[in-house]
Amino acid sequence: MNETAPYELLGARNLQVDLGGATILRNVSLSIGPGERVAIVGPNGAGKTTLMRALSGAVPATSGEVILCTEPIQRLSRETIARSIAVVSSDITLPFATRVEDLVALGRIPHGRGPAGPSAHDRERATAAIERVGATHLQHRDVRTLSAGERQLAAIALGLAQETPILALDEPTAHLDLRHRMEIADLLTSLAGDETIMKTKRTIVAIFHELDIVRDGFSRVILVSNGTVAADGTPAEVLTAERISGAWGIPLERAARL
Amino acid sequence: MGVRRITILSLAALALVAVGAIGFGVANIAPLDVLAIIGKSLFGLPVGEGISAGATSIVMEIRLPRILAAIAVGAALATSGAAFQSLLRNPLADPYVLGTSSGAALGAAIAFLLPLTGIAWELGGVQLAAFVGALASVALVWRIAGVGSGEERIASVLLVGYAVASLLAAALSLVMLASGANLRAIFGFLLGGLDGVTWPRLAAAAVPIALATFLLARRGRALAAFLLGDEGATHLGIDVRRERRIAVALATLATASAVALAGLVGFVGLVVPHLARLAVGSDPRAVLPLSAIGGALLLLLADTVARTIGVPVGVITALIGAPFLLWLLHRARAGYAL
Repeated sequence: MNETAPYELLGARNLQVDLGGATILRNVSLSIGPGERVAIVGPNGAGKTTLMRALSGAVPATSGEVILCTEPIQRLSRETIARSIAVVSSDITLPFATRVEDLVALGRIPHGRGPAGPSAHDRERATAAIERVGATHLQHRDVRTLSAGERQLAAIALGLAQETPILALDEPTAHLDLRHRMEIADLLTSLAGDETIMKTKRTIVAIFHELDIVRDGFSRVILVSNGTVAADGTPAEVLTAERISGAWGIPLERAARL
Repeated sequence: MGVRRITILSLAALALVAVGAIGFGVANIAPLDVLAIIGKSLFGLPVGEGISAGATSIVMEIRLPRILAAIAVGAALATSGAAFQSLLRNPLADPYVLGTSSGAALGAAIAFLLPLTGIAWELGGVQLAAFVGALASVALVWRIAGVGSGEERIASVLLVGYAVASLLAAALSLVMLASGANLRAIFGFLLGGLDGVTWPRLAAAAVPIALATFLLARRGRALAAFLLGDEGATHLGIDVRRERRIAVALATLATASAVALAGLVGFVGLVVPHLARLAVGSDPRAVLPLSAIGGALLLLLADTVARTIGVPVGVITALIGAPFLLWLLHRARAGYAL
């Protein structure tokens, strides 16, 4: 728990999530405030993605509750949730040729009304989001012809166009080479400094597998293991050789070198 | 060109072609006379003095209902096709993907075997049977495939649709074998055509088509979110299950009504949405209205050719549509990906 946060933007209390009869998450409690940069780490199948889906209301809590912008999430409409938290997918696949600017404009859907397409204002916000991630040169390209790194930039721009106080990213560095991983990590650090529409710094919650990125760029790490929060604190506190060895099931001497 | 301008221009083109098509035929009637006849007959305007009663009768009794039917059917098929392609995230989806066509065909074939005479025939007993068959097969596919979410579900919907369609096709073959003298009539329905459209039959189909197509074109916001898949749409604030049900229901109503009126007209619902995407991009909020106009235009042109040379319109749409699809696929290698 972060005691210094002025108020709770995103939180969970004794959260349990069952999917298809199996308990995926149990006894999860956490609290995230405005402007925090939080990395979620843990082995495959530990429940990281399910945690992110539960925190964004995509799966319901079986018991316990999720708090979004100080409200229990089940009291919020889907649209209100989408104006509060943007979830960036790591694998955007589109069925039809779609230009980057048109993809990013989809992020304006939660702010829109009626049957008309994106307004001039929506177009402007989309262009600004593309510019913010440094992808202006890609805006007329078909998303499906982009490289993995370029596609990730487009996905982040889509999330930014939603203009939410919270940006959540599920493995934003998956499938990326060393340089692109660093660029995405730097971009996230920079995005966390932006002021959002709620007049606070943007909160970033991201799932990672690369512990070096987490140590470099994140002030807080939540280690998810076996469906629950195994540790929550600064990278130095959480990412100890013992914890890494235990959570991932690797020998201690090799964990010490990570 | 902006989306709005393209849409308005294509609407204007549709109006011009419609007036031309009404005048065109064995008895040619000048476009201005066509407008005068319609103005006088429908709106009681003091125009069209000196136009023969024969011309008025041809326009009002034969050509106008047929042209309106072509517009309604084309719009319904292309809009439903665009909706199904977005919903199922599949560029090869068409309005018949959930078994509409095979259900309608079986329903119509059975109706041809029933001793329908007189009033039941006039009111469209075959059309009603086709409509019921289409709705029943979609309900069956939807029921078996389930209404859950995720990519696996989409694959399962497509496979179940295919399986149910195969089963119904087998049943149709049996009915056709047993049909004797009615074989030609059943075959004609399968080819699709607008011969002998009357005002009552047009009205019965056009009202649900207009309603469903209009409402579907207004669901573009949810359909746009579906481009990102179920999870992505959820994160954009869309109630995925609810919106999918609404869109499938509307697209099915439009398609079933179109099939009841015109039989199995192919390719319009598959090709026109791709053409619309070439013009305005992939956002369904632009694609659906433009598909409606484009589908109407394509079927109107195809039907004008069909009635001139005396073949079912379904043959013409296949003759235009299949090479066009091949051309699109060829272009896919050169840049535009389906």
